[in-house]
Amino acid sequence: MTLNVRTAAVRAEGLSRRYGATRALDDVSLTLDRGITGLLGPNGAGKTTLLSILATVNEPDTGQVSVFGLDPRDAAERLEIRRRLGYLPQELGYHRHFTVAGFLDYVAILKEITDRRRRAEEVARVLAAIGLERRARTRIRALSGGLRQRLGIAQALLGRPDLLILDEPTAGLDPEQRLRFRELLSGLPGDPVIVLSTHQADDIAAICPHVVVLLQGQVHFTGTPAELAATAAGRVWAAGERDTRAHLSWRGGDNRWRHIGNNPPAGAELVAPTVEDGYLLLSHAAGAR
Amino acid sequence: MTSSFPGPAGPVAGADGHAGEDLLAGYAAGTVDGVAVWSVEAHLTRCARCRAALSAHVDAERLAGNRSVLLVRAALPEGGRARRLLCRCGVPDHLLRLLVATPSLRRSWLLSVAGVLAVVAGEAAAVTHGWLGSGGHMVPPGMLDPGVLAPFLLVAPLLVLAGVAAAFLPMFDPAYRLAVAAPFSGVTLLLVRTVSALAAALVAVVAAAFVLPGPGWLPAALLLPSLALCAFALAAATVTDPRAAAVTAAALWALPVLLLAAAHVPLLIVQRNAQFACAAVLCASALVLLARHDRFDLGWTR
Amino acid sequence: MRPGAAESDDVALLRAVARGEEEALAALYDRHAGWLTVRLTRRCAMPDVVDQAVQDTFLALWRGACGYRGGGDVAAFIWGIGIRRLIDAIRRESGARRRLRWRAAEPEVVVSAEDQVLVGVEHGRLGQALAGLSPELRGAIEATVLDGLTCAEAAVLLGVAEGTVKSRCHRARVALRTALAGPPSGPDTTAPHREAWGTS
Repeated sequence: MTLNVRTAAVRAEGLSRRYGATRALDDVSLTLDRGITGLLGPNGAGKTTLLSILATVNEPDTGQVSVFGLDPRDAAERLEIRRRLGYLPQELGYHRHFTVAGFLDYVAILKEITDRRRRAEEVARVLAAIGLERRARTRIRALSGGLRQRLGIAQALLGRPDLLILDEPTAGLDPEQRLRFRELLSGLPGDPVIVLSTHQADDIAAICPHVVVLLQGQVHFTGTPAELAATAAGRVWAAGERDTRAHLSWRGGDNRWRHIGNNPPAGAELVAPTVEDGYLLLSHAAGAR
Repeated sequence: MTSSFPGPAGPVAGADGHAGEDLLAGYAAGTVDGVAVWSVEAHLTRCARCRAALSAHVDAERLAGNRSVLLVRAALPEGGRARRLLCRCGVPDHLLRLLVATPSLRRSWLLSVAGVLAVVAGEAAAVTHGWLGSGGHMVPPGMLDPGVLAPFLLVAPLLVLAGVAAAFLPMFDPAYRLAVAAPFSGVTLLLVRTVSALAAALVAVVAAAFVLPGPGWLPAALLLPSLALCAFALAAATVTDPRAAAVTAAALWALPVLLLAAAHVPLLIVQRNAQFACAAVLCASALVLLARHDRFDLGWTR
Repeated sequence: MRPGAAESDDVALLRAVARGEEEALAALYDRHAGWLTVRLTRRCAMPDVVDQAVQDTFLALWRGACGYRGGGDVAAFIWGIGIRRLIDAIRRESGARRRLRWRAAEPEVVVSAEDQVLVGVEHGRLGQALAGLSPELRGAIEATVLDGLTCAEAAVLLGVAEGTVKSRCHRARVALRTALAGPPSGPDTTAPHREAWGTS
């Protein structure tokens, strides 16, 4: 099978998945290209289901997926996809008695790096990239949540994947760690396709040139963060007092109220919308439906 | 002890008796040859200063690369005698490393299994030899009351099943989704784990069966039921939820054993007809597994 | 730096490594990996194999497979491990299956009497005689005498058959004896040299 990794992308069309009565995904279609795409949505929106389908861990009820031109329904092609995949599942568990190096060694074997020397080199490379060299002998149960998360990211990087799927990678990371995570992602060699999910809009604004908003199993927005913010243009205003006509209001750090709503009062002091404003507006609209 | 270095091609050594920079650079580059090299090497064995000076002429990136790989290899567990023995027998190293993640091969698990078997078998032996109170048994001490064997017959294959279940049930593998999303063959991973867990548990069970007072063929007679039980659980797991499959298998063994024990003929479960039945179950399960082995690659998602 | 101080540092580091202190391993590596790499590269031109051998050497020190019983230079001790790891690496690389013998522990490092002799000998008569040997014969002497390898180990290192190593050593010894027995200078010395430069 010919594989065009340079220009091909990841394509999903009409994906649907049910769990009992709940519809986790409802006719979801999207395209992922090289670079970072953010999947934004609240818990329960279907992000994890979508990512697990892209990672070939789950099968959709209907719809098709194409990863670098390969179809995961075919066993041989699914294997090829997995060879190019790096996956961080949500709430990854660890064998508690493993050490950091031992766990990475284990995952490297799962990624078919059978040569002991190459494995040690890959593990060393990934440890250096994620800044955990000094912790190679530490048992995982002794690591803090943030370090465990970094370890999870590290295992996804093993084998230099062409497709990196990260489910809530920034959960549990403090702001400094998030910054280093952004630096890490933007510096990855080989320019892989990266998709990460989050429910925090500022992660999107900071890292992702491309964003997809998923609400209640459906895609509600595709575009750049600037475009997402622009959807809320003219619908965000500030005031000294709380305004009940707004959909959402909160008091900012400067002690002024910030409002988001479809009908700002005449003469209201409009403010430049942020990515979060656009997301909140969309989310409210979807909830109202 | 230092030496003087006239040098092969003139005065390249320092007057203090150490190797000069040019000589070291030449040695590092491989341009110095002949007997002079031996002198340099003999000197280096003794002189830390020249050793340090020589390091400056070695590719720093290469040294750093080896250093980080060394520290990773040092951080990996070495593995016990059992692993080294298996390595010598030709088992590939990466397969052995996969076993580290199997809970049923950990010392704590194996010790618990051994403990349970020891208690059950020991109690049966003690009652038969009259060391313990006979607790209402009709048979005089020294003679074998088959009822005494019932607990062991119930427990032993279930322990084997438990070991195998721990090897393939997702709930025992915290990194299970990683294993599914990885290219390494799910079938191979499963085989490696279940076969190892099976072997370890069977060894324990057979060893305990020798302690048991009973017919001499008892240890061997336990093999087929244990194997059939595990095969059934695995095959059922390709059809339904894996946990349900394991529980069903356990029930399918426990029920007949308990019934036969109540009827005072517990040994029937390991005698000829039962052995044939177990063989049949084993073959049928093996066929199902062969036909549906791709389920292991997909993960138990349906 | 006083030689004594560096030496006792190394001994202390070795003990720390045996206790399982990772920083000691890194420090020992920083001190000794450089010269070890160069010296091994002189025996084997493949950089991958040398890298493997260097890693394996420090790994062996880390795992405590070879007890340093004091006495003798630490560097010589490390070299003794390193050269054997190099041979293992070469053997693995070339796919040779034959195992020489099951070694439970590393042999004690050969006292560097030869080293002591050499150090003062370079421009004496022995040095001249050695210089007069052909490269193959010198290589055989270096492997068996200096590095303290068995003929079988030397065979792996040099990439020749064991019998070839033995015959080269023999011819080298003959040539050296002849060269040392003859007058220090004069036309007669050309004869032993011609004998030394035999084929294979």
